[in-house]
Amino acid sequence: MEGISYQRFPKIRVREMKDDYLKFDLTDTDASMANALRRVMIAEVPTIAIDLVEIEVNSSVLNDEFIAHRLGLIPLTSDFAMGMRFSRDCDSCDGDGQCEYCSVEFHLNVRCDSDQTLDVTSADLRSTDPHVVPVDVAARALSTDPASFDSDQRGIIIVKLRRGQELRLRAIARKGIGKDHAKWSPAATVTFMYEPEIHINEDLMETLTLEEKRNWVESSPTKVFDIDPNTQQVMVVDPEAYTYDEEVIKKAEAMGKPGLVEIYAKEDGFIFTVESTGAIKASQLVINAIEVLRQKLDAVRMQDAEADFKEFSEHLGV
Amino acid sequence: MNAPDRYEHFVVPEGTKKVSYERDTKIVNAGSFTVEREDHTIGNILRMQLHRDPNVLFAGYKLPHPLQYKILVRIHTTNQSSPSQAYNQAISDLDKELEHLKKVFEEEKSRYEVKPRDY
Repeated sequence: MEGISYQRFPKIRVREMKDDYLKFDLTDTDASMANALRRVMIAEVPTIAIDLVEIEVNSSVLNDEFIAHRLGLIPLTSDFAMGMRFSRDCDSCDGDGQCEYCSVEFHLNVRCDSDQTLDVTSADLRSTDPHVVPVDVAARALSTDPASFDSDQRGIIIVKLRRGQELRLRAIARKGIGKDHAKWSPAATVTFMYEPEIHINEDLMETLTLEEKRNWVESSPTKVFDIDPNTQQVMVVDPEAYTYDEEVIKKAEAMGKPGLVEIYAKEDGFIFTVESTGAIKASQLVINAIEVLRQKLDAVRMQDAEADFKEFSEHLGV
Repeated sequence: MNAPDRYEHFVVPEGTKKVSYERDTKIVNAGSFTVEREDHTIGNILRMQLHRDPNVLFAGYKLPHPLQYKILVRIHTTNQSSPSQAYNQAISDLDKELEHLKKVFEEEKSRYEVKPRDY
């Protein structure tokens, strides 16, 4: 059966695209594919995050592991994460996973000498690789508008220090995936919903008075329908605002007019909303997710004929 | 206390094969694939893709236990094909679909960057 393929040909249409937010339609594919993409985006797209912390001095009010935990959760710009090696797979370092190919080193050296409380923030983290920095530091460096950042908001606060308190540490950031620890997840939220198909029974709608129509339109928690001011007809103003609560259907039944509207969820149309933490651009997140899913499928391939032959030849002692 | 380490979710230990196949002794053209360190992400798309193959009579997957990180994919086919063939065919088709998806996404992204909002 070579040459026959049962693949699908999905279509994509982007609705809105910003650096950290992406909304697009995915059609002509199965729910399993949409869900697989969602799962991979959340848990299996690699990023870089602080994983090992060596603390030299800590006289702050938070204990060492508390600070280490907070450091791990700081999102770092991870554009190079896909090309990096996992520390466990790296053969150029001597086993401790701290070489330049598989990790990035950070230093933090802060001491409070004034009477005012000193905030130790992500801006104080000094990276040895200018491409891997905390996300808010990178954003501030790129932004040309000085007024867009409050002077108070100098970065993600790690700890606050009083006079005389000091924090000095060395941190190693490594590549990882969300499945291992949520600090490595590049996605803030990834959701998809089915595209709704709404059919209004026009004949039945004619039998309603304007007051009843208005009541019925109001009964939906989100603004899906509206009344056209010119023709006094009920029309669908935003089908995607429909959240699959069935309030309008229940209201129609309560009014004694079942079948006033029919709402179906299209089986093969999905509306994706992808929000990223800033570690990776939202559009790049989707591309990486597709790539990671392909790699997973490749790893799961079975070499059947070769496997049988190999077992046979091993059995012979060749 | 008894929870396995997080890396057990995805790191295949030394000596274990990622995929293994067991022919069913009682039914012809039937068998189970055991895929180590995978979950519903792969299991569900494989299963749905296998359903599209007309030679596949039965395709299903399960996670035998939530704390054992592997999936079992069971496939029965007609005489025209074999479970291994159907399995590899499904993976190839999924790979092609993802390749197509990536291409379509990148095209749409470039198109959107030039001219946002076509509707």
